[in-house]
Order: sequence, then C-alpha cells, then structure tokens
Amino acid sequence: MTIQVSFFSYFKELAGCSQITESVASQCTLGELLEMIYGRFPQLGAMRKSTLVAVGVEYQDRNYRLKDGDEVSLFPPVQGG
Amino acid sequence: MKRQLTITTEPIDEAALVGARSMSRDLGAAVYFTGVVRGQEEGQAIDAIEYEAFQRMAEHQFQILFGQMEKKWPVESVRLVHRIGVVKVNEPSLWVEVIAPHRAEAFAACQFLIDEMKRVVPIWKKPLEFSDTR
Repeated sequence: MTIQVSFFSYFKELAGCSQITESVASQCTLGELLEMIYGRFPQLGAMRKSTLVAVGVEYQDRNYRLKDGDEVSLFPPVQGG
Repeated sequence: MKRQLTITTEPIDEAALVGARSMSRDLGAAVYFTGVVRGQEEGQAIDAIEYEAFQRMAEHQFQILFGQMEKKWPVESVRLVHRIGVVKVNEPSLWVEVIAPHRAEAFAACQFLIDEMKRVVPIWKKPLEFSDTR
C-alpha cells in the first residue's frame, strides 16, 4: 500500500521535507508506519512522546490499521490563538 | 446554532465583525474575545508571530468543537476568525464571539472553545524577530 505522510510546523525542518510517500504492507498499523518514519528520520524519533498523529482530518492512535491511499500527518503540539 | 468560521491571512477587522452581529430579541449575552500577539515569547522580545495551519483538519476540528459546545450550552451562534501567516505584535490573531441567553453560558462556552482549540486544532506559531520580517 502507498501512504502519503505530511509534516507540519518544525517537523518539516526536522525531516528536511514537508511530505514523503511510504510503501507499507497491508494490515500495517499506524504505529508500525511511525517506527519506519522514526528510523528514516531520527530527529523526528526524538520527538515521539509529544508527536500528534492524524489520518486525514482525524486524530488516530497507533493501533489504527492503515488503508491504501491514507494521508498521515505528523506534527508537534498545537499552539493556536 | 449558527456557525461562522474563517481562517484567513487577512487582518481581523474587529469593528466590522462587531458591526455585523446578529442576535435574537430574547437573548442577553454576546461575549467576544480577541487574542492579540504579545511582544514577548518565552521571555524573548519578538516583533511578530507566523501562524501555520493544517487548514483542512483545522476546519474539521473547529466544527467538532462547535458541535460539542452546542451540546453543552444553549448557544445561538458562534463566530470565530483565526488569522494565519505573519501577524505583528499588537495585532489580533484570534477573534471569537459566542451569543447565548445569559452571560454564564456565553462565557463558559467561549472559554471552552478557546481552551479546546489550543489542545486539538492544528495551528502552530513561530515567533519572528524584527530582522526576520524585514
């Protein structure tokens, strides 16, 4: 399956890009995808405890099973206002 | 409940927003809050804040919060404007208005909305010093 991953705020600088595409096995969980991303971008791995993760426009937990074409977003704690 | 949500790079025109207020005759509370960019961020002098939004998700999360607010309090309308992009010190970055029958629920609903926004709506800020904005 192909998953598009976007980074926001200073996560873009940590990753060195705003978007990547990852190929994952079917039944892959969001947690497994995150481990792949943290392996590829260790600077993001260092932020894992505070990282917020969304699929589409909804927050999801690590047990979420990804579907082909899902759009995953990683970002730091929000700061609006 | 009437909802009006605007996420914009344009300056927030508070006078125009207040002037456009509409409320039923039997309601008595219109609470509004303006969030203004401070000249300091974590003890450092700054000249502006650059706001970034994941706009599609931000709009969705705001709508969820409006729905939660509507279930908790008898709110007739909510209007919320969040500016993104570069906002200079002393300029408003956020404007929220809640209209309800009485002040207690209007204040409570407005406070809830802003508190929850700061928890779940994907908007971030980056302080800018003067040399960065020239």
